[in-house]
Amino acid sequence: MSDKNKKIPFNEDNYTHNIERNNERRLDRRGFMKTLVGAAGVFAVSSLPWGAVAAKELMGLAEKEYPHKKITDVSRLPVGDAVEFKFPGEHDDAILIRLSENKYAAYQNACTHLRCPVFWVKDQGEMICPCHHGKFDVETGAPTAGPPRRPLPEIQVKVENGAIYAVRVKRYEA
Amino acid sequence: MKRSYIGVIILAAILMMNLVFTQYMVHQYYYENYVNVLIFGGLNIVLFPLAVFAYKKTINMRA
Ligand code: FES
Repeated sequence: MSDKNKKIPFNEDNYTHNIERNNERRLDRRGFMKTLVGAAGVFAVSSLPWGAVAAKELMGLAEKEYPHKKITDVSRLPVGDAVEFKFPGEHDDAILIRLSENKYAAYQNACTHLRCPVFWVKDQGEMICPCHHGKFDVETGAPTAGPPRRPLPEIQVKVENGAIYAVRVKRYEA
Repeated sequence: MKRSYIGVIILAAILMMNLVFTQYMVHQYYYENYVNVLIFGGLNIVLFPLAVFAYKKTINMRA
């Protein structure tokens, strides 16, 4: 019976430290702080993929040219109309608008706000996002109204033998 | 027994910084400023050990 009674029985700094007490379901200060630390961990881990993709992009691995892809025939797209296509990948929605006889505009049409598909409204001459009424300028892809702040990525097109091809996605400067 | 809430405050501040950095990182990614993405991703990662450290330092503090 020396100093036995002065000892703290065990270090209770673990996840279940209050499991068998009254009010065990209550979030006490310690549990709350653990949650906060855990949240910081989740943030740290979820930053990794972004960093990885950014690093890849920086090293130029993603600078590849995509194979040119036929969108449609010129004869099937009247002036003022739009057609949707996929470029460069199977899941990258894009839109091509014929502005005049020889003038085309093509953008990846995932809204730069929350990625809803932007569509072309012919009689208003605007590209509109249905989700929160974002609007984009059809000539440049720049946002003109609503929540989006970044322009739509432009796709270069070329016309060859009466068909329209998507060539590549332009990089834009912020 | 009176508790010290300084730890909670520090951790909440760290979480706030996490939010800000993450948002900034994602936006910079779409703006294609990849160096900034790396910087803020790195900051986000550094915040985690910092949070653990803050927790350990303050958990047994009494005021
Ligand atoms: S997703 Fe397009 S405006 Fe919100």
